[in-house]
Amino acid sequence: MDIGIGLWCLQSTATNPRSFGRAYQELIEDARLAERSGIHSLWLSEHHGYYDGYCPALMPAASAALAGTETLQVGTGVLLLPLHDPQRVANAANHLNQQFPERFHLGVGMGYRPVEFEMKDRHMSQRLKLMTSGLDILSTTTQTPTWVGISSEQAAERAGRRGLGLFISGAFSKEVVNKLIAAHRVAWEKSEPSDTTPPPVGLLRNLWIVDTAEEQRQALNWVRSSYLVYAGLGWGADNTGVDFVTEIETSMNEVEKSATVGSAQQIAEDLSGYDVDLVVCRIGYDQPPRSALSDVIERIGSELAPLAREF
Amino acid sequence: MRLLLDLRHITDHVERQHLAVQADTYGIWGVVVTGPPGVETVEASAIATATDHVTIVVDIDGEAAHPTTIAEEVAVLDQLSQRRTMIILRAGNEKRNTVTTLLKGLPSEGVILSPPPAQASVVVHAPEDVQQIEMPEEPEKLAELIDQHRDANEQFLVVATHRSVKELARHAIGRAASIDFPQMVADMADQIDPIN
Repeated sequence: MDIGIGLWCLQSTATNPRSFGRAYQELIEDARLAERSGIHSLWLSEHHGYYDGYCPALMPAASAALAGTETLQVGTGVLLLPLHDPQRVANAANHLNQQFPERFHLGVGMGYRPVEFEMKDRHMSQRLKLMTSGLDILSTTTQTPTWVGISSEQAAERAGRRGLGLFISGAFSKEVVNKLIAAHRVAWEKSEPSDTTPPPVGLLRNLWIVDTAEEQRQALNWVRSSYLVYAGLGWGADNTGVDFVTEIETSMNEVEKSATVGSAQQIAEDLSGYDVDLVVCRIGYDQPPRSALSDVIERIGSELAPLAREF
Repeated sequence: MRLLLDLRHITDHVERQHLAVQADTYGIWGVVVTGPPGVETVEASAIATATDHVTIVVDIDGEAAHPTTIAEEVAVLDQLSQRRTMIILRAGNEKRNTVTTLLKGLPSEGVILSPPPAQASVVVHAPEDVQQIEMPEEPEKLAELIDQHRDANEQFLVVATHRSVKELARHAIGRAASIDFPQMVADMADQIDPIN
């Protein structure tokens, strides 16, 4: 199992205001630290027109992170495909794949905010059609490893039928995650694939390496507060038990239950229960001080990643 | 007049980056980069990461994407490059006006960029606004061309060359900036510190 880190969103939130210039410079610094620490990959995330500057253009940001490092892999987790011209996305992905061989991953998702579709003169009702036509174009025009961000079994099946990787959200319980993985695998097998290796599965997990009970409580509070951004964005995912809009406290409690905060050994034991190829440690919260973020990046690389490689 | 080194015809990524670093080192004001639709700001970001001072001028196909998408990509590039972005937008007037408005941090049809560019506004040029030349072999010809464009009050001049960036910097930056460039100093410098 590979261990990556995410999600770098380049925000300046009401919780933790900062300059955007600093956020983008820290992206490069964090990528370099992750590389030195032996971490597999760093993943970026996209939204549009949100008050906090949530990064709306992942390809230039990924390019900078790749150019600033030598071996680290960089992924979009995820780029909202229906909001882009898919041929432009394919061109950019091919360019990154060519300039930085085997270091770029294209994660794509559908998006869920009506306002973002309106900004691009599109409508939410078109998103599935735009997503599937976009995936068709990507599959014929790019060899870049492609992952599909999903929050339902139907979406997992769609990715499986196309032989595409899966990128699963961090807020889901183990039970939901396993259902999504199973749906993906079954759909792939039914598609009578020519490839003998199933498409990869990536899993976002809220986690933090700590040594004491006090640190554990603090880290869990960081995880909880980080989901305020999703409440603001209006995220309410169907059939997952997570609705940050109408039931914020309940949803945060669910998120806290799904988070793994403990020693590297405890986290590794928890992760070993998932049949996935990649775990992206969701540590890009807006509350922790910079020193705490740097520290956890180093510890994920030096303590957790070696244990996970054994799975 | 400010000089821009044209990297649009350089097909090799490593060479483009090397030339951009040379332009950064020798004080060329900007480099011009481009690519297929969607690649323009991706390439520019890699160049921005490899340099510290040079302005990254991105030649963008404005017809291949929604104007908000183009403006978002440029705003992110401006943050990454720390205020070193300028664009040449190949698009109709309406689209160029929309992108220009958004890159000033102003709303356009209810849309406002977040994040905005790091600069107060990113300058958006039409292709015809920026003159371009091939650097001639003969120094006298180069001097003549530079004088001609400077005296026509051009703000920028894009120079494509296969010659040394240091040579371009030595002979053209001062001449582009001043009507009384002492050519003999550059010629003497060629003898004291030969470039080739």
